[in-house]
Amino acid sequence: MKKIILLLVILLSGSLVACSSNDDWDSSKNITLYTRDTSSGTRAGFMEGIGFSDAAEDNSLLAEGYVIKDNTGILTSMKTDEYGIGYISLASLNENVKGLQFDGVDPTIANVVNNTYGLKRPFNYVIRSLDDFANETEKNITLAFVAFLHTSDGADIITNEGAIPLTSNSTWDDIKGNYEVCNQDNSAVTIKFGGSDSIEKIALALTEAFAPKCGNFTPEHDHTGSSDGFKRTQGSEKDGVNYKHVGFASRPFKDTETGSEGTQGQLAWDAIVAIVHLNNEVTNVTAEDLKKIYSGEYATWEQLIG
Amino acid sequence: MKKTKQWFKNLRNNFHFNSKKEIVDFFVRLVFLISTIISASFIIIIIAFIAREGIKPFVTDNNGLGAVNLFRFLSGRVWLTGTTFQSNLYSVGFIIINTLYVALLSLLISMPIGVLTALFIAKIAPKKLSSIMRTVIELLAAIPSIVYGLFGAGVILPFVYNFAKTLGIQSPGGNSVLATVVVLSLMILPTITALSEVAIRSVGKDIEHGSLALGATKTQTHFKVILTSAKSGIFSAAILGIGRALGEATAVSLVAGNAQNGPSFGIFQTTSTLTSTMLQGLKETIGLDYDIRFSVGIVLMIVILITNMVLNYVKKKVGNVNVK
Repeated sequence: MKKIILLLVILLSGSLVACSSNDDWDSSKNITLYTRDTSSGTRAGFMEGIGFSDAAEDNSLLAEGYVIKDNTGILTSMKTDEYGIGYISLASLNENVKGLQFDGVDPTIANVVNNTYGLKRPFNYVIRSLDDFANETEKNITLAFVAFLHTSDGADIITNEGAIPLTSNSTWDDIKGNYEVCNQDNSAVTIKFGGSDSIEKIALALTEAFAPKCGNFTPEHDHTGSSDGFKRTQGSEKDGVNYKHVGFASRPFKDTETGSEGTQGQLAWDAIVAIVHLNNEVTNVTAEDLKKIYSGEYATWEQLIG
Repeated sequence: MKKTKQWFKNLRNNFHFNSKKEIVDFFVRLVFLISTIISASFIIIIIAFIAREGIKPFVTDNNGLGAVNLFRFLSGRVWLTGTTFQSNLYSVGFIIINTLYVALLSLLISMPIGVLTALFIAKIAPKKLSSIMRTVIELLAAIPSIVYGLFGAGVILPFVYNFAKTLGIQSPGGNSVLATVVVLSLMILPTITALSEVAIRSVGKDIEHGSLALGATKTQTHFKVILTSAKSGIFSAAILGIGRALGEATAVSLVAGNAQNGPSFGIFQTTSTLTSTMLQGLKETIGLDYDIRFSVGIVLMIVILITNMVLNYVKKKVGNVNVK
């Protein structure tokens, strides 16, 4: 019995010492990696952004000893783990952790919108050519939807889903007079959405909010990947069974994906930020640094600082 | 069996009602039968559904990925080799070991604490204190697992991280076997305490009095007579406790670190359990990566079944002493 009590006392005092000790940050320590699981869109965006796309869906390419957590899990872990590094969507960054500069640019929403912060990808849309709709109603609903994307109502929905909308200065109520098609009953009309699966959640939320505002048209979602966004609206599959009215791409459109005038645009930015503990001395990283960290080439913080 | 047949026969014969009372009686019994059929059939439906989905990865070619190799699945040491959605090389071998390991360690911690608490509440504490303590334990049992998980992520992870630091070990944010075991121990403690207390209470007073009359002290009586007499009931508590530990998903996935290979035996290593693996990315994944989670579910059910059978066997072996 005495031994047990003694042991407990030792353990307790040990933990008290642990809580009170606040020694300096030691760069010779190993880096602990935090990552999202392979089905995460944030992980795909991050790995693409640092030039390590192969690791987006393959854990075996990551350095040993990584921890898999969700967005909040990584955020809270960085409050504790002084030698950890993780990445989260920029919208969830707070002052409890340190968001690293990327190529010397602070991770702020302003820097994303003015296009100076680099660790991000655009969320783009493309619609069918204006003379290529089956009828006027479908065309006008599609155009109304695109207009809705740029209203503050649309921006709120995009923000709720964790992405960063472009600046908008009008509400739907301001502009809905321009879209008479939304005053009629469109419940028999189906508008097809497709393209990037990373944008699927945002697109679903947008159409769910927009359909009641525009005569209750039926939105149909079939998201299969960014390259299908253009292909199925203006490219080789535009008249096939999988044709779409609106396509999305979670990357810039390629040169081969230039559509007719006024059919393409951007709805939001998906920005990701690498985060570390507040005590961490590192303030800035490059894509190459992050790739070396996640692939295991840099095992300790010393190697990164150099 | 014979009795069951007789029961149904009686039910049939009772179609000739002699009075209103008998009609009411018949319908009441019918209601009981129907509710039993409903609850039993749901278990069968669930098992059939999980089995149907879970066997699919092994028998179909999974949209061109090829069937999953069952032997590799049950013995491998890496959850997924290759790229997600493009590989069928899944394995849960190490996860089964991880799951049993953390569950047994949790039982090892919460068994002694739970049984001693139960003994205190049932035999030693004054009446008022024991009724307060019982309420507290019941409250603990009612706390949802996500709350335990948040407590684990907010309090236990930093504690484990700092504890490792004092020992000179760099822990990955506290995500570890130790954190998982602590959270699970907390979760199964109320179950074990409540059931052990019932078992201890049901030990006959005559045995206790006999021991005291022979000159044994109270403590000797408690440990050597009461606990030995109640061991069968205490074993039942352990069985239910380990069932909860094996099946817990939410809280574990917040503190385990979700290791993708293993097994992990070091207490500061990250780990993963069958349930946390099922939960990981569940809401965002599709195809084989989704279906395989049902297979993990089948493995989990089999693991729980075998563990319970083993513990039940041990329970029968240790026997029973004059318990009312």
